[in-house]
Formats: sequence, C-alpha cells, structure tokens
Amino acid sequence: MTHSDTTTQNRSKPNRWIGRNSRQGNWLSALVIIVATTLLLFLTTDDFATPQNASNLLAQAMPLIIVAIGQMIVIVLAGMDLSVGSVMSLTTAILALDGSPLVLIPLVVLAAISVGLVNGIAIVRLNVHPIIATLSMQFIVLGFAQLLRPVAGGAVPEVVVMLVTGSVLGVPAPVFWAVIVICLGWKILHGSRFGLHLFAIGGGMASGQADTAHNFGLKDKRNVVLAYVLSALFAALAGFFIAGRIASGDPGVGAQFALDSITAVAIGGTQLSGGVGGLHGTILGAVLMALLANGMNLANLSAFLQGAIKGVILLLVVALQSRKKMGL
Amino acid sequence: MQAVLRSATRVPPAYFVFAALLLTLWASKPQMMNPNVLGIFIRQVVPLGILVLGQLLVMRVRSIDLSGAGVLLLVNYLIASGLLGGIPLPLILLIALGIGCLVGLFNGYLVAKRRVSAVIATLAVTVIITGFVQFLASGKPPGNMPALMNEIYKVKWGPIPLPVILWVMLSALMAIFLSRFVFGRFVMAVGENPTAAHFSGVPVARTVLVAHVLAGLFAGIAAIVQSASVAVGSLRLGLEMPIDAVAATILGGVVFGRGDGGVWGPFFGVLCFAFLFVVMTSFGVPEPGKQIARGLIILLAAIFYGLNTRN
Repeated sequence: MTHSDTTTQNRSKPNRWIGRNSRQGNWLSALVIIVATTLLLFLTTDDFATPQNASNLLAQAMPLIIVAIGQMIVIVLAGMDLSVGSVMSLTTAILALDGSPLVLIPLVVLAAISVGLVNGIAIVRLNVHPIIATLSMQFIVLGFAQLLRPVAGGAVPEVVVMLVTGSVLGVPAPVFWAVIVICLGWKILHGSRFGLHLFAIGGGMASGQADTAHNFGLKDKRNVVLAYVLSALFAALAGFFIAGRIASGDPGVGAQFALDSITAVAIGGTQLSGGVGGLHGTILGAVLMALLANGMNLANLSAFLQGAIKGVILLLVVALQSRKKMGL
Repeated sequence: MQAVLRSATRVPPAYFVFAALLLTLWASKPQMMNPNVLGIFIRQVVPLGILVLGQLLVMRVRSIDLSGAGVLLLVNYLIASGLLGGIPLPLILLIALGIGCLVGLFNGYLVAKRRVSAVIATLAVTVIITGFVQFLASGKPPGNMPALMNEIYKVKWGPIPLPVILWVMLSALMAIFLSRFVFGRFVMAVGENPTAAHFSGVPVARTVLVAHVLAGLFAGIAAIVQSASVAVGSLRLGLEMPIDAVAATILGGVVFGRGDGGVWGPFFGVLCFAFLFVVMTSFGVPEPGKQIARGLIILLAAIFYGLNTRN
C-alpha cells in the first residue's frame, strides 16, 4: 500500500478519524485491547479494581506516557529517538547531585536541550541517519549519567519528590501531571502550526519525497531540530517524574524506555514511516503497555519473561505495519 | 586540491585512527610493543572482528543487525549450562551455528519480506532472547565452559594466537566472496541504489535476506569464539558488542546508502577498538568514559561520512 492511494481514498471517504485510511493511524485496536485487558484483569484478579492499584497504575504509566509523546513527535517525522532512556537516566543523576533545586532544574533543562540540539543538528545539517545519531547519543549521555552517579543513590531535592508524590485536595499529583502533559502534547501536535508542519514533513518523507514540505516553503530543517529538542525535553520531564518517585538518582533507570516508548507509539497506530498518527493513539498505547505490565505483575510473571513478552509485542506491532522502505 | 582532499576523505578513517593509536601506545607504553602482548590484545577482539564480518554485509545492503548480543548470550548459555549435556562438542558447535543461522533467517524475513525497520526488529530479537535466557537461568550465572574449548583458544602458532588466524582467514574468505562472486555484486548493487537494483533484475529482498542469514552465521561463530575465551558462562553480555560492531564497521568505511567499503577497512576498525580500550585503560579512563568514547566514535565517523555524501 503506497501513500498516494491512501490520500486519494481519503478524499472519497471523508472519515479521517477511524478506519484503515485514517490520518490518525489505527488507534482503535489499541482501545479494544485495553478494554479487553481491563475486563480480563477485573474478572480474574481481586487486586486490580482497588483504588490503590488504579493510582499505582497511573503512576507507573506516567513516565511512559511522557516519553512516548516526545518519541511520537520525532516518529511522525519518520525519525526515531533512541537516546530518550539515557536522557531520563541523566536527569535523575543530575537531580540527585548536591545543590539547590533552583540550580539543578535549569541544569536538567539545559542538558536535555543540548542533547536534542546535537541529535537534530547531526541529523539535519551533518546528514547522519536519525537512528545512528541517537544511538551514539544514547551511549554518550549514558556515559555522562554514569560519571555523575556510578551506582544508584543520592537524594533528590524535596520539591521534586513533593511535586510527584504529593496530592492537592485529595487528588494525587500524577493526575495533574497527566492532564498537563496531555494538554501540552495536544497543543504541540494537533493545536499548533508547528504540529501541522510536522505531519506535512513526515508525510512527505513517507511518500519517498523527503523535500516535499521544503518545496512548499516550510522551514523543515528548523522544525526537525526543534522536534528532537522537544523529544529530549519530554524525556527529561519523564526523568523528573521518576526521580521524584524513587527519590534518588539511578543511571540504569531509563534503560527500558527507548524501546518501550517506540512500542507504545507503534501500538497507538502511529506509522514508523512518518506522517500518520495521533496523540490519543500514543496515550492509549502507553496506557496499554502499563496495563500489561500491571497485569503481568499481578499474575506473578517473572520479570525476565515480561521483558521477552514486551519484545514480542513490539515485533508483532511493527511487523503488522506496512512500509515501503526496506532496511533501517 | 579539492580532488586530493576528496580522495583523502575516501580512505576509511579506521586507518588514520589505527596509526594514531599505535603511535600513542608506542610513545606512552613502549614495553607493550612486542608481538606476544599485541597478539593477546588482538585475540581479545576476535569475537568482535567476526561479528563485524556479518555486520558489514548487512550494513552494505542498508540494513543493520543488533541481534548479535542475543545470539552470543544464547550460545554462551547453552554451552555453559550443560543443558546439552552428553552431546559431543562438535555437535554443540554445529547447534550454535544453526542457532545463528535461524536468528539471521528470522531477522532477514522480518527486514526483507515484512519490511520492518531493521533496528527495531533486531533489537526486539535481542530483547526477546535475553529475557528468555535469563528466565531459563532464573538470573543465576550458568556453569563452566568445556575446558577443551579454552585449550584450543589458547593455541598459538609462533606469536600469533589461533583465533586471530581464524579471523584473518574468515576475513580473506569474505573479501573473495564479495569481490569474486555474483552475490557480492548483488550486495553492491542493492547498497548503491535498491530501486535501480530492483529494475536491473537483482533479487533485492533475497539479497537482504541472505545477508542477514550470513550475519547470523557469523554471530554464531563469534559466539563460539567468545565462549571459548572465558572459563565460566555469563549472563551479563550486553548490547556493547553489536554496537561496537556497528562502530567498527562505520569506522572502516562502510556507510548506509553507498555501495562502498571492503572487508579490510572494518578489519582495521576492529583493531582500532582493540588498541583504543588498551590505551584508555593504560591512561586510567573509567568505564563511563569508555561508554562516551564508544558513542563519540560512532557519531564522529557517521558525521565524517554524512558530510562526504551530502550532494
């Protein structure tokens, strides 16, 4: 299935939200699986439907939701950011340094922006493949995180812990996080000119004409760099959340998140070849991943086997997407 | 002037880096420059070197293979755990090669037929195998390696260790295979331009698939050599090996989207890694520093070629 016939079919069939030709991708199946999994867990386990577990679930899903939104911004551009996990680790390592939060938090933002800038400039100006650029950044950033904090430990500022584990009027902080992050993601992807340009650039890449958006006068290079900066910033935000949860620094904390976030984005119907996808799909995908992890924990499945199952899910989802390009 | 510069940038950076590292080592630790010590250093990177032979093949057809980590771990576990107890050693080795080929075939099917992004597919394969092996071992390290393998590993021919001879021979075979056989031409054609290759009648999908199977086979051989080099099995074989393989291959002048690159560029890329880690250890660089160096090498080599191929 090529991209061009998708668009022509769209014209005759105006439903842009659901169905095979949706510009939002296939997010409906993620929703169906979520409902099915929830029902299954509700019926088979006693601990699932407790408020405690619901709050746990949200807190578990939150970092993945945040990273996945950032990951989606670059996947829409047919790119991929493998350095998000290391940025999360670096964030917790920086926050666990001795110092005032007024210094540490700007430092985290600065670190994330520079990682994003290096990624973006390497890809756009220096003509490096996104996967190679972010793969090498993954190692460089992880190295810095390990230099700052060789093993897990230290203490993060009180403010960070309070912002993540506190509650206002009985409503736990993760709920506010969810609302804010989702609004932010929606504004960036679907409510701004920048978001529209992202889909335009990515759509051109998916159809094999990488310079389509450029020929229409879009500032494609600037937008791509900005997308990688945003992805790193979202990763830093997720790292901030995790640092608040574990109240310490840990250089290994982000290891799973690069692949997990790609899985979440892909389950949500966003095409890895670019240009097709929606924020709601990504959030559904991240929730689904957290739900599965939660279910596997309740079923007492070995952590090692859980890793393998997540790998199988990623492989299945990606193998079911169709793509023109072969190779990387 | 520009022509001279252009031809200078066509030489893989591996040769320059190798010369620089050798000079550094000679200046800082002259006592290390004897054939016996160098032989031991080089012997340590033989598994990486063999893995690179597969990596350069898949990278030339615009794909990538990160599943080497999974193959290494699985073979290492199978040999050390005694799960295959009672089976003679040659048969175990044959099984190891078979595992490599099977993983390669699976990768090849996903990449060439299902058109899955190669990074994702092979990373996921590694994740699945790693999780599965750790589940089988329930987190405990497996037992000892057969002593015979380690004895063979330590055999030397003059100052040259046997594994190094194996590596050089395999590299030579690969070089002949790529330059003298039709498959080598197919690899070059697909690497230059898959669309043009397709319309010229090159079986693009099949070439990519076969490249992946061969990469799996080389991963199997690398896993055997790696298992022979250690006395005890390990579950802590990380992603470093395939990433180093990618770095060495890029350093050796094989780039995505260009049919260039032979076998000997990446060969010297691997030698660079052998000496790089020796030099860094001798200067007291900690483990995270090596991690950063690993990333920087990939990035700088990729930038070097990125600037070169930009219109």
